[in-house]
Formats: sequence, structure tokens, C-alpha cells
Amino acid sequence: MPPLLMEAENLTVTYGSYAALKKVNFSVFEGEIVAIVGPNGAGKTTFLETVAGLLKPKEGSLKFRDRNITKLEPFQRRKMGLMLIPQEGNLFPSMPVKENLQLGAFFENKRSTEEILNRVYRIFPKLQDRTRQLAGTLSGGEQRMLAIGMGIAANVKALMIDELSLGLAPKVVGNLLSILRDLRDETGITLILSEQSIKALDVADRVYGLEAGEIRFTEDAQQLDRDLIKSLYLGA
Amino acid sequence: MTIRHNLPRLLLPFVLALPALFVFVGGYTQWVIGYLYLFIIQGYVAWLLFYKTGQSFYGYSATMALGAYTCVVLQRLTNVSPALQILLGALISALLAMLFFLSTSRAKGFYAGMASFLLAILIPKLIEALYPITGGRSGVQITGLDLLLGSDNYFLLVIFFTVVIVAFIAWLINTRVGKIFTLIAENEDLAQATGINSFKYKLLAYTVAGLLSGLGGALYVNYTGSISSVDINVFTSVSIFFIPLLGSKRSLYGPLVGSMFLVLIPELFSSIERYLDILYGLSYILVMIFLPDGIIIGVGRLLARLFSKIVPPKTLGNSS
Amino acid sequence: MVLQGLITGIIIGGILSLPVMGVALIYGVTGILNYAIATIGTFGAFTTWLLLPYGLLPAILAGLLTSFVIGFGIQQFLLNPLIKKKGNDLTLFFIITFGIATIVAGLTKNFFPRPTISIELPKLGTLFIADVAVDINKVIAIAIAFSILLVMRFLEKTTKTGKSWIATSQNLKMAKLVGINVEFVYSLVSGIGCILGFIGAFFWGVLYNLTVNTGWDLCFLGYIIAIVGGIGNVWGGMISALIMGVVISFAGYWLGGMWQSVALYVILFAILIVAPKGILGSERSV
Repeated sequence: MPPLLMEAENLTVTYGSYAALKKVNFSVFEGEIVAIVGPNGAGKTTFLETVAGLLKPKEGSLKFRDRNITKLEPFQRRKMGLMLIPQEGNLFPSMPVKENLQLGAFFENKRSTEEILNRVYRIFPKLQDRTRQLAGTLSGGEQRMLAIGMGIAANVKALMIDELSLGLAPKVVGNLLSILRDLRDETGITLILSEQSIKALDVADRVYGLEAGEIRFTEDAQQLDRDLIKSLYLGA
Repeated sequence: MTIRHNLPRLLLPFVLALPALFVFVGGYTQWVIGYLYLFIIQGYVAWLLFYKTGQSFYGYSATMALGAYTCVVLQRLTNVSPALQILLGALISALLAMLFFLSTSRAKGFYAGMASFLLAILIPKLIEALYPITGGRSGVQITGLDLLLGSDNYFLLVIFFTVVIVAFIAWLINTRVGKIFTLIAENEDLAQATGINSFKYKLLAYTVAGLLSGLGGALYVNYTGSISSVDINVFTSVSIFFIPLLGSKRSLYGPLVGSMFLVLIPELFSSIERYLDILYGLSYILVMIFLPDGIIIGVGRLLARLFSKIVPPKTLGNSS
Repeated sequence: MVLQGLITGIIIGGILSLPVMGVALIYGVTGILNYAIATIGTFGAFTTWLLLPYGLLPAILAGLLTSFVIGFGIQQFLLNPLIKKKGNDLTLFFIITFGIATIVAGLTKNFFPRPTISIELPKLGTLFIADVAVDINKVIAIAIAFSILLVMRFLEKTTKTGKSWIATSQNLKMAKLVGINVEFVYSLVSGIGCILGFIGAFFWGVLYNLTVNTGWDLCFLGYIIAIVGGIGNVWGGMISALIMGVVISFAGYWLGGMWQSVALYVILFAILIVAPKGILGSERSV
């Protein structure tokens, strides 16, 4: 079994008196693709933003690469190799595509940035044609591509992507997912995907079911009982 | 509405009237107390307009100046009686506040606040430009009511006016109109959705505030017997705006406590007058950070915490 | 006379534009309108004046550094924790930074031996524009004021730090996620803003007399013109500063010194009433 990469213990996050996450326990092993599924408002975004450091938990702790990161700022977590691509507002709209990717590779030096950018361009040739175009003027699909490209450029240990498929055609989603799986097979990157649609299950190794701020189940993706998913969305 | 519930409100005029006894002490102490009362008036006006009605208005020194300088100009150019001067001062100040509101009603919160802040900068400059009549920066002397009535009598009159003004404000905020003011402060959209013409009520709030602040200014210049553009500059405005915040914007006694701190503490530190700005600046920052609810509530909480260590918290909880 | 007035106006406007750009820059990145920039810059200019006997360049560097350190420190240790705790509340930060300005002005008054200073630069001669003689030092002041904007754009395009402040102003959340230490960026930009305030106050001290009160005037004007020009819009701020400079100059000719500032504030007041969002609008949604 690969070593443990990240672990959340009893994570509780509140907005005022409303608890968005209730004592969530969660763990990811190195090189895994983990999907977090659940209906709208289940707390998926809250969870990912807490792991990334944008939100501070009220209780509980977070461990990443054997270090307690609960109190670290987002940039410190990013430096340790943890990055989140949020579902919205994940670009610098008035900057050209290339500068967005460069910012994605924030901690790389000049030479390795060039290499990494070329790798991104190999994966998404479309972006190479538009390096000088402002990110805000790209089409929806291209914007998502760029956002994921920034995540790839970041060259991190663990990449979290919030709602990869939001607003995209199913075929595009399938493509992106297989690109991500190839990336994992090639580089050993750990991926955490939150998904409202269950298409992500096709590439995931393990699945967490989240509902109303609580983890309902953890299963291997292959053995997952589809009824479990159904109960998640429709209620028991 | 029980008597007990209303007690703080009913008690306030008596608390405010009590220092009239300083007339038996006399001298400089009495003078400082009277001076304090002139700022208590401004503090309550700021409380009504800024905190109770939620209007970001920083121009209190401007309305105050208009009240004061109306008296100055009328005395220098005409023969109107002092009482009429004071009345006209208050009315002109009310007019300014109304015009200000009407002209900035399109701007939202912060921008209107900045416009009023500009007003507080503009009025002293105007007074300086009109120095042949107003005395400008070096100031002007007038034969104030303190000379006509005798300083003891005028001291009592200032306290009387303060009690009346504060009692009026305390009464006003508990009427239907006052409750609408509070609703506008908390959620203007909601107020409008329930069919309240918020424009009308805000206009009323500005007018009342302008009237009372101008009255306060007119009383001020009659009390001090002289005034200059420095007395009513933008720093005066910020201090006045700060009074309710310092005391507690949530308590009826907030402006009273706030003015006491703002006027009396500098008197105690008069030996280090040159460092007073620094103390003022520090107090703005410290209060905003550590006492966002003001001294009254801050001290109240501190006492409650101390007492809860001595007395079991259960008995304390019953009283609230 | 019109040309003379115009030139004087552009010089005053150019100097004014420095604290204005400081306020706009800081607002664009941090979302805070910092009131204290010009008073901090004035403190720096007084420092320069105090150290002039040790040479012009060291004195200027000392003033620059002092302003930067004060601006950086205040942001890092006071404003950043407050933003974290209370978010961007314009009124709150108006009062807090007004308090800072009051403290710094008080320190300037007490710390330096003289209340009025004038910074003597070596005379470089005069330049003739048509028939109007202009002191070369004034030309240098203007050239520096205008080139600041270019320097800033250059930094933004070429350095990682410059890029990270642009990124922070465009998308705070994503800036945090890609690994930018936004609090450090805030502090850095505040320090730079105060340097702009310093350059403004310094040239004021070179061309006219600098007192604690003129520091306050630069402060009011820097803050208000930044709002009038379109809160956080650097170009708008610069253009309004130039217009206001010309207004001050001509009002001085036609109305005399006392009415000069009255005219200026009346116009600012009128603009704020007519176009509360500023002349060019805001680069950042409030």
C-alpha cells in the first residue's frame, strides 16, 4: 500500500451558526485519484477550500506529508505541493494565457517554467495557439482547460479540482478525465476531484460520498454499489 | 414596556441635569463642564444620524460652524437679539444639512460620507476666505450670552438646552419615526419593501441633526465668546463622529460617556498637550480594534467576566 | 499668463498625482483606501531634510526607506490582521488610517526641530518654454512624477513581484491558491504607496515650503482625488490630479490664495455629487 499523503481528522467548518462540515475524516494515499461525490450544497467546495487553506476549520486537524498544516496559509500549503483549482474564478482574466500558466508555476525557476509550459502545451495544444490572448476572452471550455493547465504547471504532489465538469459537454469532460488519468500514470500525481456528476467515477480509484457536511461512505470505485450513490442524492 | 425597561431612558435627563450643581463649584471646573455639554449635544446628534439612522455623515463641524458663524455674522452686521441669532443659526444649519442630503442622495454610503468629509474641510477654508467678517484663522470675539446673562446663568442655560435636546433625541428614537430610522440603518431595502418612503425619513433625520447641531454650535460660540476656523475644522468633525463610538453606539448613554472621555481626559493631560494628537490617533485605532462596542459595553463585559468568577454565572444569567 | 498658469498647474498636479497614485495603487491591490500615505511621506521628507547635511543622496534614500518601512510595517502588523478579521470595510479603514495619519503627523510635529522646512536642491538653471522661465528642478519633479507610472507598469510586466501584485488585484482567491503570499504583497504595495507619498512631499518641500499642515493637505487631496478619479483607478487618479493642479493654479491667479482652496474643494464636492463613482470609474468593484 502506498504511503499516506493527506489526512483530515474531525474537520468541522462553520459559517456563523451553520455547520458546513461536521467532523469529516478523510485520507488520501500517494498516487491515488479520489473522487468526492455528493449533491449540491453537500460541502464539497467547503471541504476543498479548507484543505487549500482558504477557510479555517473550527475544529479538527489537517496533515499533509506528515506535517500538521491546519494553521498554514494557502501559499505555504501550495509550496508544500498542494493546490486547488476552484470551480469558479480560477483565472486571472485580464492577463494573457501564458502569464496565467506562469503564475500557475509560481515556485518554479525561469528555465523549468519553460519546460513545464511546454508540457502543458503538449497536453492542451489549443492553449499554445492562444498564449497571448487574455484569459477572460477564452471560451468556457478553453478557460477550464487553462485552469487545469495551471494546476498541471504547478507541478504539485496533490492537485484538487473542484467541479471539473461544471458547464462542460460530456465528451469534453471525458477527455479531460482521461488526460488527468494519463497524467497520474505518468507522473504519480495525486488527484482529488469533487464532482456533482458521477462521470468522475470512471477514472477514480476511491470514492467519498458527502452529504449535508458529513461523510456517508468510502468505497473503492470498482466495487462501488450504485445504490449508495443513489441514496446520497435522493436520500435514504 | 415596563418602568424598569424604560428606567435608563427616564433617568438620563436627571443624570445630565445633575452637573448643574457645579455652579456652586465655579471657576475653571465649571467652565470645563459647560464646554463638555456643548460636545455632548454634538455627540448625541452624531449618534442619531450616524449610528441610529445609519447615514455616513462626517460633517458635524460644518453644521456646528454654520450655527456658530451665523451668530457671529448677525452680531457684527445687524442688531438682532441673541435669542434670534441662535434660532437663525440653528435654522440655517438645518437648511445646509437638508441641502447636503438632497444633493448627495444619489451617492451611496461611503461616497456620501466622503462628500460630507469634504464639507468639513471646505467650511473652515470658506471661513478663512471670508476673514474680514469671520476673523478666519485668527478668530473673532463676540459679546456672547455669557456676558449678557452672567456666566453662571448661561452655564445653567447650556445644561438646560442639552437636557432638552438629549431628552428629545431619546424620545424620538422610541417613537415610530425613530424605529423607522433604525430600520433604515439596519436594512434600507427592507424598509422600502415594506412601503416606507426612506427618502422622506432620511431627509427628516438630516434636518433634525442639522438643526440640533447648529443650535449646539450657536450655544458654543455664545459660551466661548470667540471662535476661529481651527475650532471647527475637520478634526473637530472626526472627534464628534468618534464620540458615540467611544462611549458605545449601542447605548443611550454612549455619547455622554464618549464626550466625557474626549473632553475631560485631555484636560487631565494638559501638561503634555503637544502629544495630544498622538493620543487621539492611538485612541481611534485602539477603540476600533479592542472596543468596537465602546467603553460602556466593553467595561460591562469586563465586569461581568470578573463577577462571574466570584458569583456563579447562573445568578447573573437570570437578570438578562 | 495662461501658459504660466498651465505650467504651474501641471507642476502642482504632477506632485499631487504622486500621493493619489499611492492611494490608488494600494486600493487596487488591497481593497483598502489608506488615508495616511501623504502624512507618512511627509514624515519621510522631514527625515530627508534632517539628514541633508550628510549628503543629498543618502538623505533621500533615508527618507525613502523610512516611508517604506512605516508603510510596510503598518500594513503588515496592523492592517493585514484587521483585514483578516473584519474584511474590507471602507468606513472602518477610513477611521483606522485617519488615526494613523494623526499619529504620524503628531510625531512629525514633535520629532523634528522645525515645523516648516524647505529642501534646498542644487540650482540647475532654468528652461524656457515659449516665454515662460521654468526652474529645471520643477521639470525634473514632473518628469519623475510621470515616469513613476511607467516604472510601475514596467515592474508589473517584468518582475515576479510586480506580477504577483497584479494577480492579487485581479483575483485574490486564485492569487492565494497559486502560492502568492498576499499579505506580503499587501505590505509591499503599501510601502511602495508610501514611497510615492514621500516623493510627492519631497518635491513639495523642494518647490514650496513643507509643514505638517501641507502634509495634511496632500493627504486630504491625495485621498479625495483618488476617490474622485475613480477609486483605485491609477490613470483616473492621475488625470484628476492634473486637472485639480490646473484648477489650483488658475484659482490662485484669479481669486487669490484664500479662495484657491475653497474653489478646489467646491469643485471636488461637485464632482463627487455628480459622479460619485469617479471620473473614470473604478478598476475594482467596491
